[in-house]
Amino acid sequence: MKLAFVVQRYGADIAGGSEAHCRELALRLTRHSATPRHDVTVLTTCARDYVSWANAYPPGESRDEDVRVIRFPVRRTRRLRPFADLSDEVTDGGAPRERQDAWFRENGPDAPALLEHLAARGAEYDLVLFWTFRYATSYLGVPLVADRAVLLPTAEDDPIVRVEALEDFFRRPAGYLFLTPEEASLVSERAGTGLAPAATIGTGLEPVTAHADTGLLRARGIEGDYVLYVGRVDRNKGCDGLLGYFEAYAAARSAPPTLVLAGPAKMRIPDHPRIKALGYVPDELRDALVSHARALVVPSRYESLSIVLLEAWNHGVPAVVNATCRVLEGQVRRANGGLAYRSAAEFEAALDYLLANPRARDAFGRQGLAYVDREYRWPTVLARVDALLHEVRARRLRLQPDPGP
Amino acid sequence: MSELRARVRERLRQQLLDHGGSRSFEDPALFADVERLLQTAADQTDSPALVLPELLGDPDAWRLRTAIRYDSHRPNAAGALRIFVKRRLLMPLLRWLFEYSRDNFERQRRVNQVLFACVQELAIETARLRQELQRRAPGRE
Repeated sequence: MKLAFVVQRYGADIAGGSEAHCRELALRLTRHSATPRHDVTVLTTCARDYVSWANAYPPGESRDEDVRVIRFPVRRTRRLRPFADLSDEVTDGGAPRERQDAWFRENGPDAPALLEHLAARGAEYDLVLFWTFRYATSYLGVPLVADRAVLLPTAEDDPIVRVEALEDFFRRPAGYLFLTPEEASLVSERAGTGLAPAATIGTGLEPVTAHADTGLLRARGIEGDYVLYVGRVDRNKGCDGLLGYFEAYAAARSAPPTLVLAGPAKMRIPDHPRIKALGYVPDELRDALVSHARALVVPSRYESLSIVLLEAWNHGVPAVVNATCRVLEGQVRRANGGLAYRSAAEFEAALDYLLANPRARDAFGRQGLAYVDREYRWPTVLARVDALLHEVRARRLRLQPDPGP
Repeated sequence: MSELRARVRERLRQQLLDHGGSRSFEDPALFADVERLLQTAADQTDSPALVLPELLGDPDAWRLRTAIRYDSHRPNAAGALRIFVKRRLLMPLLRWLFEYSRDNFERQRRVNQVLFACVQELAIETARLRQELQRRAPGRE
């Protein structure tokens, strides 16, 4: 099939989750070994920075392995102050429809040439896949090719997903690819109807071949039992709650484990002998940290899919997650790969239990790994994607046969 | 997990009793029922799924508004100037105070949602019990 992938940013050096998901799928669906193999064109912007959307890559056509990439320039960078005011207004509820539409335009990236390409040449593609509902490339692009649009919303239960305008938007695409069953329920609930055809695909992981050396950890002063947080240390990721809970936990115990934070800090981290903030860590150290952790902690309230949670299970490491996040609670329940907490008392009980019961800890880790083997290996993910794409295309052709030559 | 939750629940029940909580909590089964009912309510915080906001009428009359709206009752240039002063001169100076207040109002809004949901759960329980009592009333036999 001839596919277009529309994504706000694209490149090997882009760190975002949805961008990485898009690129992995594009590369894997176009490789010679792929069965079946697809012809993928990525339609994206020249932006590298998701805050400003400033042009960084040259516009025009290039290749990423067998993927054709067409970059369109961003007309103007994001105006942060008006965007912040508009975000307050729109998430507050009751904003008129034109202000809601304005939020998506202001959120950007503002790439009119990309939208013109979709309007003029969208029908040349069998299907057009859009990543992330919240960006202008998807919000304004889906209606232009609605009969062949497949949306990967990457939606989480945050205030923006409650914006009224999305009720119409979520009904427009011809098909849907979701990351988790919870995301599928959330988007269906927002659309006010069941959404079909749809598939829940998650993402793919390669098996881990060997556990990393502990020497890397000792070099960073990490010895003994530790629980690990991986990602941006940010209030929006629930880190203020995690740090508060952990300080109370450590204060009440004579020999608590260390909480290791691996990721850039966007908030103040308390100076505490049992909290070790490493900042950004390279991949090799990150692997070593994950594979030797007693547990991974995921405190976020908003997730569409926690890839770091899957990575921990890929290493056979159990997880302790925030149960108020439906996605995390659902992932842990389905995998039986850890414990979910709703309060400080449950957080403490979960850590105590995992640290005091190595057999239970190993069992949770093994169950998590079995879940990843069952659901999140690339051949499984690609087969689900391919089946959905064929279903959407067949349905479109039934409704609207392609004109003959 | 349910075993751990039961342990945490029992610890919480003891703490509440030790700190002068309701004597009704001496019954562990009753406490578990109360906790389950409130937890169900706390998990249900999407306002379209609640009855009470519909009954309160116009949201402008009761709903917490956390966004600043820049407007002026003055017409034309005078109004535009006042909005410019508010947005471009005053707001940058006062943003820290605005954000502090907004964060607190957001928390209050969440508490209100949870309370709405709790009231709804209790109303459902009461209505069910009332129906059950009416069904069992001697006159209906």
